[in-house]
Amino acid sequence: MAYSTRKASENVNIHVAADSLVCESATIVGHVTIGSRTIVHPRAKIIAKDGPIIIGEGNLIEEKASIINKNPPGVDGSSPLIIGKQNVFEIGSEFEGKEMGDNNVIEAKAKVSPLTTISNGCIIGALCEVNNCEKLENRTVIYGESCTRRKMAEDPPSQQQQSDFLKKILPNYHHFIKPKMKSST
Amino acid sequence: MDLEFESYGSGTYIETASGNKVSRQSVLCGSQNIILNGKSVVQSNCIIRGDLASVRIGRHCVIRKDSVIRPPFKKFARGAAFFPCMIGDHVYIGEGSVVNAAQIGSYVHIGKNCVIGKRCSLKDCCQIADNSVLPPDTVVPSFFVFGGTPAKPIGELPESTQYLMTDATKQFYKRFQAN
Repeated sequence: MAYSTRKASENVNIHVAADSLVCESATIVGHVTIGSRTIVHPRAKIIAKDGPIIIGEGNLIEEKASIINKNPPGVDGSSPLIIGKQNVFEIGSEFEGKEMGDNNVIEAKAKVSPLTTISNGCIIGALCEVNNCEKLENRTVIYGESCTRRKMAEDPPSQQQQSDFLKKILPNYHHFIKPKMKSST
Repeated sequence: MDLEFESYGSGTYIETASGNKVSRQSVLCGSQNIILNGKSVVQSNCIIRGDLASVRIGRHCVIRKDSVIRPPFKKFARGAAFFPCMIGDHVYIGEGSVVNAAQIGSYVHIGKNCVIGKRCSLKDCCQIADNSVLPPDTVVPSFFVFGGTPAKPIGELPESTQYLMTDATKQFYKRFQAN
């Protein structure tokens, strides 16, 4: 799929919260709302193809990660893709589901199909694929070559320290999309 | 060991004074922190994150398309920071691999589509098979082949690995010419 190489800052449909950092070289297409304290690294892809994408607070979206709002096969119409707080999308991960809760980690090169929804505290291990039409329960871990599952006793560790560090050094090297001033209601 | 040879359209690669060939389509963030020691090849669509911490890459390294080299994040006693990523000489990194390692020795062969976890340490003369995942903090000893998810030792390398990798990477660089 080739998307236009317009700079993300020219996309008028992005709403970026005040203290989030969204790199200009990220590919952002369609109606996308990005919550506060979220960091979007360069070369990330957020594509709202079949509906808007709403990303919560404190998320970390690394380079080559893609979040695509794509309808599952057989479903038409547009519906929003909602992502909660404090999630981590590592390098090269692909998330195409419709909903994600809080505190999840999608590790490098993992894939989540349009049929799956993820609740809270889950970890999808590196190179794993989740294709089933299901809602993953809280604190599920998917790992290994055959995508075995187990449950965790506690949530994945918080990325707060990394987010703080990135907030300090990323502005020295990258340009960011300027947050829009929303009229107060 | 033979690596497939390639050539490139003239003008698509930048040749530096020390002989490095860097694709114009690759992304080198924070290039002032990235050191390529000489005669290395960085192919298209690679991402090297020098903005997070310094990245040092040795001589005659080959970094194939779509790879990502990113310094790992480490929590110290007094806070946390991104740790510099050191890569030795004659290292081959296959297509699409994600390298989050803190240190890669010399004469290392990393296959396609691998995920090298955070803070890993790959010693000299080791090999990582295609499609393998190294969990964070793994140490890969010399002369071993690691593979699988999570990566475990699956084979051994001969003592001549150093010369095999030296020859392979030097030949790749020599044949990697503009059309």
